[in-house]
Amino acid sequence: MRKALIVDDAKVVRVSLSRIMKQLGFETLEAADGQQAIDQIAAHPDTCLIMLDWNMPVMNGYDFLLHLRSIPEHVTQPKVVMVTTETGMNSMLKALAAGADEYIMKPFDKDMIAGKLDILGIDYD
Amino acid sequence: MRSTEFNWFRTFLEQQSGIIISEDKLYLVQSRLKPLLRQHQISDLNQLAKHIKYHASSDISQQAIDAMTTNETLFFRDQYPYDALETLVFPELSHAKGISSPIHIWSAAASRGQEAYSIAIAANESIAQAQKRVRILGTDLSPTAIAYAKAAIYSQMEVQRGMPVTRLVRFFSQQGTHWHVAKDIKNMVQFETANLTEDKLVSQVRRFGPFDVVFLRNVLIYFSAEERKKVIDRIARSMRKGGYLITGATETPEGLNSKWEAVLFKGKRLWKLQ
Repeated sequence: MRKALIVDDAKVVRVSLSRIMKQLGFETLEAADGQQAIDQIAAHPDTCLIMLDWNMPVMNGYDFLLHLRSIPEHVTQPKVVMVTTETGMNSMLKALAAGADEYIMKPFDKDMIAGKLDILGIDYD
Repeated sequence: MRSTEFNWFRTFLEQQSGIIISEDKLYLVQSRLKPLLRQHQISDLNQLAKHIKYHASSDISQQAIDAMTTNETLFFRDQYPYDALETLVFPELSHAKGISSPIHIWSAAASRGQEAYSIAIAANESIAQAQKRVRILGTDLSPTAIAYAKAAIYSQMEVQRGMPVTRLVRFFSQQGTHWHVAKDIKNMVQFETANLTEDKLVSQVRRFGPFDVVFLRNVLIYFSAEERKKVIDRIARSMRKGGYLITGATETPEGLNSKWEAVLFKGKRLWKLQ
């Protein structure tokens, strides 16, 4: 089963995103900050998709993204969708430059996420 | 809503818009019309139907038609029509008409404009001098939808449905939670109200055509079989021979006087006017 990692410091968002991703046929992993996300990716290198919040304690989503994209041994990098309250155009450009593949401004719903998976060419149920 | 009022409203809607609401769609009518009750302080749907009956040209009547005929659309809905434009239709047109010839496209059920602007963006990404060469007409039955489309301002939710973020940052500017279509894209598109079920449609859109491509997606299903054929023939009369009609994936154009050849693209059918 395809694995999606959900990274958000708000449990309510993780639960909601996790429910949607499961409905779309993914196995879900969770992390509450960037450091936990690094650990999850190390433990699950077959993760194909990361839904990534921006503002989190310990390590924020942007710094995690820079770290992830700098890991050379990852032959197949996961796709990264930012899911954030950062809604400014400059934030989008910054995330894209750092290697984000898509961007969702909160709030989100299942159709919006499915639409982004279509754009990324990721299959779902 | 009582069956008398429901049946009267179904007939009214068909006369005004050509759209058929089957007898089992009471829930649809109720859910679409209910917001008008609060807005106009009318007590129930039976009263609303009566009001429409005796004030057929009033704002409320138009709003009731709008509520029944305006469907939510997405930017780049289904994606394949836009891939087809970029890899099949535009190259073919440039080959047949020359690389500097004008291209005329009609979004014939434009709703709030997302389809027409998606076409403009796709043209911009794949055609040299698209802003000079490509002219797009968007028409819809609803004046409210057309006013929205002309304003070219979309909410945060709307711009995130179907549109890649790379296109959002390239072709829109942001003002708070609203996103404005870039001027260069906006200038490629004109909008007008038009009724697909009226014969005057052909003369109304003539000055924008003849069209090389017409989008008429997920609309035919709402018309009776007879009306569907008339609509298809009107579309055909507005097009250049060899032009493409892009319908919903499951729709098939059948006219009385027009013939269409199916052209397969990624397993989906586009329709070429014979």
